[in-house]
Amino acid sequence: MVVHIRREQDIATARQVVKNFAQENGFSLSDVTKATTAVSELARNIYRYAGTGSVCLRRTTRDRGTPGLEIVAVDRGPGIPDVARVLSGGFSTYERSLGIGLAGVRRLMDEFEIRSEPGAGTLVRAAKYRRGF
Amino acid sequence: MVPTVRVAGCLLVPIQIDLDDATVERLQQQLLHEIEAERAQAVILDVSMVDVIDSYISYTISETASMARLMGCRTVLCGIRPHVALTLAQMGVRLRHVAFARDLEHALTLARGRLTGGTPGIAPPEPRIRS
Amino acid sequence: MKDQLVHTLTAAQQKQSLWEEFLAQLSTPGGPSVDSLEPLLRSLGEEEVCKGLKRAADAVPGASEAELLRLALRASGRIRRELEEEANHLRDTLRDLATPMVRIWKDVLLVPLIGSLDSVRAETLAERLLEAASASRAKVVIVDVTGLPTIDTAVGGFLIEMFAALRLLGTSVVLTGIRPSVAHTLVKLGIDFRMVGIARDLEDALRMSLELVAGEEAQKKKHSGLPWNTAGEGNHDAAG
Repeated sequence: MVVHIRREQDIATARQVVKNFAQENGFSLSDVTKATTAVSELARNIYRYAGTGSVCLRRTTRDRGTPGLEIVAVDRGPGIPDVARVLSGGFSTYERSLGIGLAGVRRLMDEFEIRSEPGAGTLVRAAKYRRGF
Repeated sequence: MVPTVRVAGCLLVPIQIDLDDATVERLQQQLLHEIEAERAQAVILDVSMVDVIDSYISYTISETASMARLMGCRTVLCGIRPHVALTLAQMGVRLRHVAFARDLEHALTLARGRLTGGTPGIAPPEPRIRS
Repeated sequence: MKDQLVHTLTAAQQKQSLWEEFLAQLSTPGGPSVDSLEPLLRSLGEEEVCKGLKRAADAVPGASEAELLRLALRASGRIRRELEEEANHLRDTLRDLATPMVRIWKDVLLVPLIGSLDSVRAETLAERLLEAASASRAKVVIVDVTGLPTIDTAVGGFLIEMFAALRLLGTSVVLTGIRPSVAHTLVKLGIDFRMVGIARDLEDALRMSLELVAGEEAQKKKHSGLPWNTAGEGNHDAAG
């Protein structure tokens, strides 16, 4: 499933899509919230820094069939020159929330990868799995 | 416009809509004006209906609280839902100059307390090692 | 000796009747059902059933071994799901037993942490505790870590997150039960838990909690003495 981010309302759409998806796959209430919040951060970053891009959502599995949710956020925006610094958390020099946003996504999700090239764009892949007990 | 209620010298703001970026920014402007007009002692944001608070929303709340504080007004965040609290804590979000209340009664108690140098923010969590 | 003999004999008899039942079904036009394979698998195990099915397929005309194995696989899947459900149920029970949440005083919740915490258990625990604190409107949560064998960076980080989340709910936290070796490790790791009250034992923790509750009550009384409508009219406490 793909949500194109072009307008601010698309952030809310992305949130809603992920929320439904996580609920349908039996995620706990707080894991639903964590995944929804993570997508909110990723979609906003696209809207704010790249203007347009997309958030793709896919069902995935981990060892012994544990269902999970994979999010890939892509844009062809300006890219992030210093990924390590942005991920170190706290409010960065980037306007408002990019710093804590990406660092937060990494903390909220079980898997997190980022590839960014200045001038070419940014790709973030993150996954969260349904918890056992 | 988010409707607000005046209670005991405080501005009570029940937030019952999905907080998107534009709404949050408008809310900030609105609250600052109302604090001045009402000479409110405190702003109580009731977020018990809010399902997602991401870093941008918490940043704006924190920013509004800092502005309110400079105007002599406290900010109390009331009724954060458990899963939202866990998410904020895991992200390591700092909410400066904000007090936290379980319910409205607690919020009013906190709202009428003395405005101090500021509520210490939440320390970012230590790095977690995931197994 | 005699009991064992009886057991062996009846087991053989049971086995025989199970196979008889199955073979009877095999020669009917509809063929055997998944249901008829379930009891066989349950009492004989996969290996023996597979051997038996091979021989049955060879002996009975029209019976296909592949078809029989397919049925056996489905029956085995059914049994596995049932066992999984049972295991989940046990895990639920264990989880509840492992972390009791006790209301030891009005507005005070006691949570003794026992056993080792991995990240999955930690997150589930945090969820349950936050729900309990929110639902009971607890003013104070006492977290007793006497039962935690060690607190490493991961567990320490998790506790810090949990305490931060409790604070967001408007609940105070009192931590107790840090043993010397744990205190040593924590300081070496740079974890100081400065955001919570720390008590030397449970008695001290309860005393601290009651003080916190009393403090809040006192503050409430102090302000409820003021006429409500004057609070906003000029006599701000606000000092900035």
